[in-house]
Amino acid sequence: METMSPLERILRGLALTLVVVFFMFPIFWIFLMSFQTNETILAIPPSIVFSPTLSNYAALITGKLQTAAGTLDIAFMSNLGNSIFLSVASVAVSLVLGVPAAYAFARHKFKGSEDIAFTLLSFRFAPPLLVLLPLTQYFQWLGLSNTYVGLIWVYQLICLPLILWIVRGYFEDISADVEYAYRIAGHSWLATFRKIALPLAGPGIAAAGLLAFIFAWNNFVFALVLASADKQPVTVGALAFVTSSGIQYGQIAAAIVLSVTPTLALALYAQRYLVEGLSLGAVKG
Amino acid sequence: MASTETLKRPASGFRISRKMLPYVLSLPALLVCIGILIPFFTAVVYSFQRYRLSQPWARQFNWGENYINFFTDPAFWNTLKVSLLYAGLTVTLELLLGLGIALLLQRRSTVNNFISIMLLLPLMIAPALAALMWKLMTNPSFGILSYLASLIGLHDFRWASSPDTALLTVVLVDIWVYTPFIMILLLAGLRSLPTQPFEAAALDGVPRSFVFFRITLPMLTPYILTATLFRLLDSIQQFDIIYAMTQGGPGNTLTVFQVEAYLNFFQSTNVGRSAALLIILWAITYTLSNVFIKNWLRLRERARGEA
Amino acid sequence: MTTLQLKNIVKRYKSQTVLDDLTLDVADGERLVLFGPSGAGKTVLLRLVAGVIEPDAGRVLIGGEDMTDVDAEHRGVGMAFQNFALFPHMSAFDNIASPLTATKSSKEKIAAGVQKVAKLLKIDHVLTHHPKALSNGQKQRTALARALVGSPPLLLLDDPLRNVDAKLRFEMRLELPRLLAAQGATVVYVTQDYKEAMALGDRIAVMASGSIRQIGTPQEIYNAPADIEIARLFGDPTINLLDVTPQRGGEGVFVELSNVRVRLADYGADVVGSPCVLGLRPEAISFVDAAAPGAIPVTVEAETPLNEKTVTLALTARGREILVSRPAGTPGPTAGPAHIAVNGTQAFLFDKTSGALLPRADLAAKRNGEAA
Repeated sequence: METMSPLERILRGLALTLVVVFFMFPIFWIFLMSFQTNETILAIPPSIVFSPTLSNYAALITGKLQTAAGTLDIAFMSNLGNSIFLSVASVAVSLVLGVPAAYAFARHKFKGSEDIAFTLLSFRFAPPLLVLLPLTQYFQWLGLSNTYVGLIWVYQLICLPLILWIVRGYFEDISADVEYAYRIAGHSWLATFRKIALPLAGPGIAAAGLLAFIFAWNNFVFALVLASADKQPVTVGALAFVTSSGIQYGQIAAAIVLSVTPTLALALYAQRYLVEGLSLGAVKG
Repeated sequence: MASTETLKRPASGFRISRKMLPYVLSLPALLVCIGILIPFFTAVVYSFQRYRLSQPWARQFNWGENYINFFTDPAFWNTLKVSLLYAGLTVTLELLLGLGIALLLQRRSTVNNFISIMLLLPLMIAPALAALMWKLMTNPSFGILSYLASLIGLHDFRWASSPDTALLTVVLVDIWVYTPFIMILLLAGLRSLPTQPFEAAALDGVPRSFVFFRITLPMLTPYILTATLFRLLDSIQQFDIIYAMTQGGPGNTLTVFQVEAYLNFFQSTNVGRSAALLIILWAITYTLSNVFIKNWLRLRERARGEA
Repeated sequence: MTTLQLKNIVKRYKSQTVLDDLTLDVADGERLVLFGPSGAGKTVLLRLVAGVIEPDAGRVLIGGEDMTDVDAEHRGVGMAFQNFALFPHMSAFDNIASPLTATKSSKEKIAAGVQKVAKLLKIDHVLTHHPKALSNGQKQRTALARALVGSPPLLLLDDPLRNVDAKLRFEMRLELPRLLAAQGATVVYVTQDYKEAMALGDRIAVMASGSIRQIGTPQEIYNAPADIEIARLFGDPTINLLDVTPQRGGEGVFVELSNVRVRLADYGADVVGSPCVLGLRPEAISFVDAAAPGAIPVTVEAETPLNEKTVTLALTARGREILVSRPAGTPGPTAGPAHIAVNGTQAFLFDKTSGALLPRADLAAKRNGEAA
């Protein structure tokens, strides 16, 4: 590394620049587009010099779009609301279900514990439609079609394995002796779980929750199959947008920007834990 | 001094909960497991039935006919071919690119760390939305990429709407989204390698290509394997990007397993065939995931050991 | 104070038997040291008594009450861990107070209790610190304070001095007996250090591979180790072990060392002719003049002065290594040829094949008498 020749230094710099341009340009371009009117977007050659407008965002937020043909309703804000509600609720349920289970798997190696843990893990890699298609029928029988409850339950498919395996790792990192010491001091297992295990695994649990939120937010196929327009999150809603008539390109771009901002912000905030989360706890960053 | 009399003696009911505690704690997770396994087995049953939503009265077991028909079904072979091609292309290219970028960023420095965090952003964008972004950029009337293509003489380059370039376009989007995944895993792997072998090699003046192929690569293999298998498992069942970009088209250019199964179910309402397709896909991923989990566990233990 | 009884305890991990049908009685107010090499099962035994792991078979009785199926929090024992096991997210005060908060005592009572034991252990000035900010010695004292604060009738100390530096270990070895005596609890103390065992134990139970090999007062174990392994573990410098075959002469049983007869007055004719191992504590050997009776010629190889004694390594004519210990400050050869004499009354004989200590004549006679 210390013996880099000037030529090598230049080549490395060039390569890195290309990499950064390739991965950053689409985000940058869509961001610009979201402040443009159809006229500037359609201009040839494209230019990055234009007078920015907030009209796209205004249209999305008010839900009213003025077109030549009249006023058009846009459901984007309700999509955004669905995304927030579904992701938050799914992660909350996942934490409530997954954290105690992760603790049990980490601390008590009981009969069948590994089987359950690995079965849950294998769900992460099974084709989601395999479960979703029969579920459409079960949901009809159960009255869960197009309900938040049904969707949140299906979202466990991605959230629960993540929470379980990451949080389990954090519990395993706590020395068993520390918990023993608290038990011997006269505290019940529940008090030990609340006062020792939970606080010590706290940062890991929070990180796992953030990551589960990101994955839930980014999910597309669950809601595509199981939700109608009024329950759809942004991933499905934005796609429906493209085909709706009279929509302006700048508004699609603005919708994308609004849809990805929460996950990008959370990812930057939790980036220290991303590697661990992405590898389900196999690699530490 | 506390004496034994003042100690609370547990009620006899408490004894049961002591033994049952781990089961009680993991019961919810177990219930979710069961809740997922029921539709899974239902799908298995469907795959052995002649079952069309449009003809519910004609539903009956046909014992493997759905699977046997695949042998003579060109659409199935197309699905298999496109799925494998897609998975093979994306994973190979992402691995090469991801490894290259990880090597460029290996040295810890402020700039490198900043870039590695920036590069993570595409991975955090929903793949369906990423596809939408690229759709806007490749739009024939205003897409910046279409414009750039015309600058180098590719007038009327159709990107995802032409059967010739549709696969390459979605592969490009997949690369944009998922290369950071491989990059970040390999970067973590590279940075966790012990430094002694490299220092020793540098002292001895060992050529750098030798160091890379004989030290770096072998030591990085567990990470490469895990990252590759992880991607392969996801890529062979890619749905979001392809569906959002082209809905499997143009024609049947991109009818990979899950897209084909989705279209079979909702458009042709052929539930039996759709389920059989998904079962075959599941068999492939199940086999892969067994190999994967073995590697993954080894890495996980190593990570825990270092903690 | 209370009693502790362990009855036929068995503990297995997978196929490995960690505790093998172990039975042990600890009397009211006794300080029992569990001594043995790592992997002997000492720590597992202690955890079993504390109730954080369960035996596969056998019963644990505390104060005569069967506690085998009672949860750890209801057993009323105090325990200090080898790795301290402090709660990293709590201050030293909260760490120490944890046994008191469980009893729902008042805030003032808790504060008073913590202050008292902290003062006793000289850590009252660091009570607001978190474990990360404590020195190793302070951590160790905090862990000890936590075990003591509730005045538990049974105190389990798992090698508490293992992870502290030599100076602190020395200080604590002096301080602990006083502290424990003031506490008035029944104590089970685990250690791998024989000096600690000697200093702290009313009785010592020597453990090896999951069972108790010998139990007795420190003097009993030092003076009559049940087998070669215990003899080797117990004592510093290590005991001299020499292959011999006892013979009978005019004045009784003797062994030959470098053709010099060493009389073993305590042993009877039953040991004659069988291959044995002679155990000689380094302090049972002394340097003498060449003319002294029973003088054995040796060559002095090296001398190691320790604070309270001087240890000399010598070679016999046949090249066997012998360690000789004498009080520091007393004269002795530092190099070259010298002579040693062996105090035959302090020698042990072990059976060469089984390794067991051979009974001395007087004990054997006594036992025969009882049998008859």
